[in-house]
Amino acid sequence: MDKTLQTEVIVGRLLRANTRACVAGCQPAQRFPAFGALVSIELDENTSAYGLVGDIHIDDDGLVRQLATSPDISEAIIQDNRVNRNVPVELSILFVGQRSGGAISHRLPPRPPLSLDRVRACGEGDICAFSGAGRLGYLHFILETQDFPAADLLAAHLLQAGRAQRDHGDAAWFAQAVDKVITQLRNDYEHLMPILEALADVQEELGS
Amino acid sequence: MEKHTERERMEINPAIGIVTSGGLKENLQVRLNGSPQQVQEGSFIVINNRDWKFYGIATDLQLQSIDPRYALEPSAARLPERLAGQLDRQTLYTNLVVLPALMLERGPEVDTPEYPAWRKAIDSGDRDEPRPMPVKSIPAHHAEAFLAAAGDVAEIFGKPDEEGNFVIGFTREQDHPVCINLPKLIQRSSGIFGATGSGKSFLTRMLLAGLIEHNRASVLVYDMHNEYGLDDTASDTGENVRGLRSGFGPAKVQVVGLGGSATIRGSVPDFNLVLGYSDILPEDVELLTRELNLKETTATVLDALVQSLGRERWFKAFKEMKRGAQIESEDGKKIPAPDSVAFWANQNGVNVMAAEGLHDKLRRLFNKPYIVENPPADSIQALVEALKKGKHIVLSFGDYESDLDYLLVSNLLTRRIRSEWEQMTNEFRGKNGSEPRPLVIVVEEAHKLLNREMAAQTTFSTIAREMRKYYVTLLVIDQRPSQIYDEVMSQLGTRVCGWLGDEDDIHAVLSGLAGREALRGMLSRLQAKEEVLLLGWGVPMPILVRSRRYDEQFWQDIKTSKKAGFDQAKAIKNLYGD
Repeated sequence: MDKTLQTEVIVGRLLRANTRACVAGCQPAQRFPAFGALVSIELDENTSAYGLVGDIHIDDDGLVRQLATSPDISEAIIQDNRVNRNVPVELSILFVGQRSGGAISHRLPPRPPLSLDRVRACGEGDICAFSGAGRLGYLHFILETQDFPAADLLAAHLLQAGRAQRDHGDAAWFAQAVDKVITQLRNDYEHLMPILEALADVQEELGS
Repeated sequence: MEKHTERERMEINPAIGIVTSGGLKENLQVRLNGSPQQVQEGSFIVINNRDWKFYGIATDLQLQSIDPRYALEPSAARLPERLAGQLDRQTLYTNLVVLPALMLERGPEVDTPEYPAWRKAIDSGDRDEPRPMPVKSIPAHHAEAFLAAAGDVAEIFGKPDEEGNFVIGFTREQDHPVCINLPKLIQRSSGIFGATGSGKSFLTRMLLAGLIEHNRASVLVYDMHNEYGLDDTASDTGENVRGLRSGFGPAKVQVVGLGGSATIRGSVPDFNLVLGYSDILPEDVELLTRELNLKETTATVLDALVQSLGRERWFKAFKEMKRGAQIESEDGKKIPAPDSVAFWANQNGVNVMAAEGLHDKLRRLFNKPYIVENPPADSIQALVEALKKGKHIVLSFGDYESDLDYLLVSNLLTRRIRSEWEQMTNEFRGKNGSEPRPLVIVVEEAHKLLNREMAAQTTFSTIAREMRKYYVTLLVIDQRPSQIYDEVMSQLGTRVCGWLGDEDDIHAVLSGLAGREALRGMLSRLQAKEEVLLLGWGVPMPILVRSRRYDEQFWQDIKTSKKAGFDQAKAIKNLYGD
């Protein structure tokens, strides 16, 4: 594995998975990755799975339910509940590619990660390497997903990846990604137009 | 021809689109890369597909979208401009409809290992040099389409500097010269068509100048409106328009005036055409049936006149007969005088009223000043001899511009010419004479002579049908091709057509041609005075050209054209065989 690209920020451990997606649990106090962020999970020495955070889920527990009805809660109690709670924050991750023997491909990982495998947040170098590899083929995982809000996930991801690419010298990346999205969805007017409208804001933010 | 590699060619002339669907019957669909304005209806399109090149003509442009909803509202209304542009580029496009006409084996690319072997096989004669052939197949999906380059135009229509090629115009977008092959043009009868004001006369002058300069054939122009021989003034610009005689001089082109003292716009012609009474034959009168409103009995009366008075004398004798002259008989009754029409009719068993009726109607002929008893010279023969010797004649009708004059004189003259050329050809084939010089007879207002009613009677339809074998062809000029008999139209090899507004005329010009449905709209949308469509057997494929300008520059070009190396005997042999 190319260690130079791999960040060491571990954001959680795997709770459950299938070939297309997984759920990781994070400590609530931890800075967990944002919606649309790229994460990686090492499957073995040579292989990692890449995924996008498609959903962030914070479950309640009995104490929280009781506290929520209390009229006055001190800041200490709030912090205690957040830091010491037993129920983790769940990150739902959509697999979008893999790294095998140092080469990035936009195919599903060969197998799902196993329970408690480490989930790492990807840095800008990793994001650029992954999103710049191949022909943006991984976007179809986002566009075709039924389990996540595709338009918003795409917009969130393209904003992060577009920013990283721009900062690493490829200002045209976002436009290429938009072209790819249009190519994928041009026969589905009703699906494409809301996505493009979502991307309009991203384009503005990126200033591209 | 110099071959470029694919990369070199792409740099010079980038592709305009790719083939997406189509067939031989329903034409090819080319999806354009860019804006629809880069190509126009009638453009000459080349499609490259591996070892083959396909040549066609753009017949339609259609705006298309992947989903109609993309086209219904501008995407810029919902998206930022840049994003909207990205969306439009992928969802909105233009389809170019191409009528495929020819295909040519181009062989492997110059820079491939296969090319030397392919070239060697051709050079050694083991393989035929590829030539354009009528399209029998189609290019594959995604074959690239190009606007024809100068080399493509020259490949199909010939190089302008080759002997026999005459630049008639230029491709509309890229201004590449388009040639018409004059030897092929005169091999069969041909036609120039266009509504009034579409530039027919200029086009005809230009083509005639080309024919005269290349000297492939003698040209006889029936110049009904005195347009071609001497200088004229353009009706729209008021500028001087040089005539053929002015352009080439009297040594090459002679203007013949109809009538003994004819002047053409105040100028004296080179010689005058005067008909003798003996020149008028019954068939000349019969074809004037409609013009003179002749009755069904005319043929019988004419036959009796020839029988009783002789084929050469009948006209004079009939003219001299008196209409209604009577004398008193011995018993005091009024009877027809011996020099009256009635007397002759009674003597020859002809209905008196029919004979007198014909006499009345022929009075319009009797009174023609250009028909005299004893012409000063056999001017018809002089005209024929001039044509035989290679001169070109413009017969100006001067003040005699009526249909009657035109029909009578042109048909009478053509009958004599046909007879002469048939005789010369028969002598040549019987090894008793030299090869006749090809002759092109130019007929203005052709529908007057070649309409359904007249075609069977006039010599012109015979020439259109058969006289190619006798070295005589027609160049018909008309604004109403629908009035020309179908059988004659079908014989016209090359058709040069300017703007036509009438649906029937368009239909007539396109009759018998492949892809006429596709060409129909193009004809009706030609730009008047500037664009013409070349069609028919005489051109390798239909093509729309911006016609050359008939101006002083044209005459400069004509005078400086190369003539060296032209072997007339060889050209004639190539044309007509042994």
